[in-house]
Amino acid sequence: MTPGAIVSAARARGLDWLALCDHNSARNAAAVAEAAAGNPAVTAGIEITTAEEVHVLGLFPDPQAASAAGAEVGRTLPPNTPEAVRRFGEQHVLAADGRTAGREERMLCAASMLDLSAAVALIHRCGGLAVAAHVDRPSFSVFAQLGVYPAAAGFDAVEISAANASPPWAAQLRALPVPVLRGSDAHFLSAIGDAATRLRLEQPTLAELRLALAGYEGRAVLR
Amino acid sequence: VNLRRLGEKLGLLVLTPELDRELERDVVVGHVSDMLSDVLAHAPAGAVLVTIQVHLNVIAVGSHAGLAAVVFAAGRRPEEDVRRKALEERLVLFASPEPAFEVVGRLYAFGVKGRHA
Repeated sequence: MTPGAIVSAARARGLDWLALCDHNSARNAAAVAEAAAGNPAVTAGIEITTAEEVHVLGLFPDPQAASAAGAEVGRTLPPNTPEAVRRFGEQHVLAADGRTAGREERMLCAASMLDLSAAVALIHRCGGLAVAAHVDRPSFSVFAQLGVYPAAAGFDAVEISAANASPPWAAQLRALPVPVLRGSDAHFLSAIGDAATRLRLEQPTLAELRLALAGYEGRAVLR
Repeated sequence: VNLRRLGEKLGLLVLTPELDRELERDVVVGHVSDMLSDVLAHAPAGAVLVTIQVHLNVIAVGSHAGLAAVVFAAGRRPEEDVRRKALEERLVLFASPEPAFEVVGRLYAFGVKGRHA
């Protein structure tokens, strides 16, 4: 999953826009944006594992905002040990050309110590949109962990993944109080573009996405 | 065995001492899970739930499932809003510094058994 390979896969699937959301880190987004050079547009994101083991996507206006949020998440993660590297693999931070520019020193597969409301507040404080990740899936989703939709958490949207599963809470998915986005939740190159959201907006920026979520002035999340 | 006595025997901290009447309730079934979707689907009515999940939804789901009590294990403590909601729903809350496995083992020794709803 090098920046170049991600960009090629996204282009091959005809995507106009992608959000790079590594687990508990935002340090690779700038490199992917650089590799893409606007085709596709790249939004810097993060997939935070909250203390409840709920995955929350943060989508940010720029890589700096994503990094600021990522750094706060990182401070609550356990350190990565040689033993963890052996078990779970290396955690590379890549440059746009795919070379290793650094390594993540925290264990990114762990849960952060931020609870759901703290994670959403952090994302909002950094200017981002908070999206409940892959709510159709039985693992790490808000329904699986918390049983019922936590309206008070303040999500801006929810994401249904490419798995498009029919979980026991399917009825709840039809009655969500926030817009529904589709995302691939791609963990492999081949899965990039397996699901995508169709949007009507002026340009692929976070500000426009915010307007589309609100259904403002002709912008819209299309079915 | 009733909840008050169970709490004393297991050295649990009662987070909802206001619930006098509910603490007299007898429990014979238990459930252990940190996934509230599983609690919704499988916890039997009248059960004591042992969990490390401290989100507010524990109370909503616990009431819906008809739980008698929740034990927050491993030193986890919910926020005050969780406790207030539990008082509204009349759901007894306990806390224990012991790991969930230890709490469940002691409950079992006092005759509290597991079964699916």
